[in-house]
Amino acid sequence: MYKKLDAYLEEISHFLSGREEREEILAEIRSHILEKAAQEFGEVTEEALEKVIAAYGPARRVAEKYLEGSLIIAPAYRRFLFRYTALLFSIHFLFTVIAIISKRSFIMFPFIYMPRLGVAEAILYLPTAFLTDLGIVAIVLYFVTQSGKEIKLPWPRFAVDLEEMKAPATKTLLKRVGILVGMTVMLALTGVAVWLYTKFQTIFLVNFNLEEARPILMPEPGRRISLIIIAMFAAATLSLFLKLLTSSRWVNVVSNCVSLTLIGLILSQPFDNLFAIDVPERLLPNIKHGLTVLLLFIAIMTTIDLIKNLVYLGRKKLAK
Amino acid sequence: MNPEIANFETEMNRGFLQILVLALLEEEMYGFSMVRTIRELGYEVEENTLYPLLRRLEKNGWVKSKWDLREDRPRKFYVITASGRKLRHELLGIWRKQDEVLKRILKEKTHV
Repeated sequence: MYKKLDAYLEEISHFLSGREEREEILAEIRSHILEKAAQEFGEVTEEALEKVIAAYGPARRVAEKYLEGSLIIAPAYRRFLFRYTALLFSIHFLFTVIAIISKRSFIMFPFIYMPRLGVAEAILYLPTAFLTDLGIVAIVLYFVTQSGKEIKLPWPRFAVDLEEMKAPATKTLLKRVGILVGMTVMLALTGVAVWLYTKFQTIFLVNFNLEEARPILMPEPGRRISLIIIAMFAAATLSLFLKLLTSSRWVNVVSNCVSLTLIGLILSQPFDNLFAIDVPERLLPNIKHGLTVLLLFIAIMTTIDLIKNLVYLGRKKLAK
Repeated sequence: MNPEIANFETEMNRGFLQILVLALLEEEMYGFSMVRTIRELGYEVEENTLYPLLRRLEKNGWVKSKWDLREDRPRKFYVITASGRKLRHELLGIWRKQDEVLKRILKEKTHV
């Protein structure tokens, strides 16, 4: 029994787990190490073995040399991991939005089950959905790789634009001025909104007569929606400020996520008994649908932008 | 050694080591004796690279092996096969061609 040698072989064995020829590999390494120790140090002692093992290399590196060539996902398919995950997740995201708005669960057997979700649950649900999508795509690509066949994976044409998407160019002076102006406007809007809210507990007013201000919305929903809008203004201001300092796409990603969350929060607000002013009954469904369509349109555009940014970041990481 | 050079050497060794092993295995040898012989020839080979290479060559039928259990310590002996000889012939042809190209460049372009 040679303690150090056994421990070393045990470690290599751990990294080789699953390989049928493992025992033979270990037997050969054992034979080599014992022979070298005997030849170079005269006898096999723990000290001699320690030196020979050190020269043979770390267990993980040794094991990896036997594993070379056995890829989990072939390099040619790696880019599809991000592409397909982004595509699958965008579909998942769309279903999530539909589940929030429709306030019911639905099933598309055997592909998808969408439970009834509120906004808070959706925020917890989406990361899980993302990991599931990533896992499904990884498993498919694993089997494609293991098949060893030349499989040309499909990808819609619009992907070319994403693929060729370049990193944001260095900001020109004009662009910086544009961002600065945008930020100033958003800051002013945020300031006015905060001021109105602190004074009237709402930012939705019929008139600007400060002595007799009349709110458009009922007090409670008015407060909630005002706070969400103020948060949107503040987030946009902060995002523009950060864009002055950095070109990182993470700023866009975070900004997109915050926007989507806030849009989701607005969409989840009850519409009944919303108005404090007289609105003709027949107009109410039109207003409701109009607002929903508008918010959904903004949500879809934001989602597309989010996916573009995520795909770009994924590709950038891959390129590195 | 400069790590960049070491990386290049590892890359170059990949191909060279295959020819070297196929050339050595005309007679039966075991891993440790191959390492020692190569060292005596003035070249160094990483032991932990040699064995996986031998395994790959064996998997493809270019060498075959058998365990010798007669001594105190079991040894795995390798020897080249007929298809291994054919492969060696092809690889040596490629290597000679590469060598020839390099020699011609070195002869014509004295700055290299």
